[in-house]
Amino acid sequence: MTRAQKKPVWMMLTPAVGLIGVFVVVPMLLTIWLSFQHWSTQTGFETAKFIGLRNFEDLFSRISVGRDFRGAYFNTAVYTGISVVVILPLSVLLGLLVYQRRAPGGTFLRTVLFSTYMVPMIAVALVWSKLYSPTEGPINQILSWVGISPLTWLSAPDTALISIVILNIWQQIGYFTVLAVAGLTQIPQTLYEAARVDGANPLEEFFGVTLPLLRRTLLFSAVIAVINAVQVFEPVVLITQGGPAGSTNVLTYFIRRVGIERAQGGLGSAMAVMLMLSLIVVIVAIFAFARERKEDA
Amino acid sequence: MSLSSRGTTVVNPSRGGIFRSVLVLLIVFAAIVAAFPLIWMLLSSLKTPTESMQTPPVWFPATPSLDAYRDVAAVIDASRSFWNSTVIATTTTIGILVTSLMAGYAFAKYRFKGRDLLFAAMIATMFLPPIVTLIPLYRMVSYLHFDGSLLGVIAPNLANAFGIFLMRQFIAGVPDDLIDAARVDGASELRIVFTVVAPAIVPAIAALALFAFVYQWNTYLWPLTVLQGNTSDFPIVLSLGRLLSYNRGAMNTNLVMAGATLAVLPPLVLFVFLQKFFVDSIVSAGVKG
Repeated sequence: MTRAQKKPVWMMLTPAVGLIGVFVVVPMLLTIWLSFQHWSTQTGFETAKFIGLRNFEDLFSRISVGRDFRGAYFNTAVYTGISVVVILPLSVLLGLLVYQRRAPGGTFLRTVLFSTYMVPMIAVALVWSKLYSPTEGPINQILSWVGISPLTWLSAPDTALISIVILNIWQQIGYFTVLAVAGLTQIPQTLYEAARVDGANPLEEFFGVTLPLLRRTLLFSAVIAVINAVQVFEPVVLITQGGPAGSTNVLTYFIRRVGIERAQGGLGSAMAVMLMLSLIVVIVAIFAFARERKEDA
Repeated sequence: MSLSSRGTTVVNPSRGGIFRSVLVLLIVFAAIVAAFPLIWMLLSSLKTPTESMQTPPVWFPATPSLDAYRDVAAVIDASRSFWNSTVIATTTTIGILVTSLMAGYAFAKYRFKGRDLLFAAMIATMFLPPIVTLIPLYRMVSYLHFDGSLLGVIAPNLANAFGIFLMRQFIAGVPDDLIDAARVDGASELRIVFTVVAPAIVPAIAALALFAFVYQWNTYLWPLTVLQGNTSDFPIVLSLGRLLSYNRGAMNTNLVMAGATLAVLPPLVLFVFLQKFFVDSIVSAGVKG
């Protein structure tokens, strides 16, 4: 057994752990450090000058970068909230359509839904910008057939953000549907049989058996949906540039703009830290919510 | 609870038929909505410039033409972009496979101090949005003189937490006897990983390879940031962005759609042929995760 004791643990771990350490953990720690510094992204880290909480004060002040940051923060929160609220129920509904065996076409639907998840976001953004076109786009044309007057979509402040939410949900829903199907397959059939013996109708079966047993899946889906939503970038940088009137200015776009394009590395890092803290709070809250529901049940 | 529903074990055939029809309708509707944007993209790429910009929109080109695909090559160096995308996606995928197999093996089969803590720390990085590390990372690659080059795009993506996680999950299921037998034969641990363990989890490796390839083919934020204006190293997704800004407002929708179709094809074709692996690995990651 002495030979078995001398296992090359570090040789096995070093490539992966070293790369993730250097390219993920170190930059994350640097982001936190830089958030307390005045630093231009164009210069080396040694030029950073400690300024305490000044960057964070700027974010909450009345200067324009503070206003724009709070706008981006608010837009990202709205965007994330709508995404999660739509994705979770829709993924369960589509999951049930894929999973059911009473009608044909479930697996076909899964293939079609999931194939959109394989498409680069940049292509999705390009295609949808044409679909949304108020005059040349097919969406307003289809709406006119059923008597709905043309919508402004990406071209007006009050519809632009929701338009991007829709194209993002279209792209990602296949992934969440597959997660929902995975959750559904884990539910033992005997529970449905027991419910039927008790005289439950399909609706009662759904709320009494299916939904409670999908809790773990939905928890996982909610966390992933939040993480994905704050990463929205391509449609904004390519199509709307944050407009019209700042309505699609979101955090990934704005942090990159300030931290890379304007080279205000300290200020951009402070924004990234705010995003990180907010994500931790939201994810903890999701877990707390799920635990509370479990105790209720 | 209505009494009538109790004990009606035989489903009313006509009611079941209606239910079935509703299900089929829902499935068809969902599939059409999901497929429509991609079908529109393909149709538009076959239109003439005038057709592609008409009001109200023309759905089907009068005489489908491949001219737009030829014109794409005049605006962007499409074959060069494809080559760049292939280099980026292939090298990162190989890197991820090698590093994930080794680390996944160590986490699954070795017992060492701090193992669970280290594993948890690696998994935590999976939930970190790339923007959080973007600014310092951009500076770091310029220290390494990787900025503005494919090396800068590739280097930070040679390992990831999802790969380690997926490999550990599957390697844990490989019997210890198999590994011990190879040890008795005098095989080194490295040799065991690649010649004993890897062949036992081929479907999981295929899934990870496809995931990594498609993700790296599609990723936009990091290449855009690190390559800056070096268009000759642009992967196809970045060139597509240039295609849109080229001659903005002119009659070029068919051109943009042709470019988009080209960029979409490789990941989509891979998926169609190998979707079983994709779906299985998401299922296992989701259920066990």
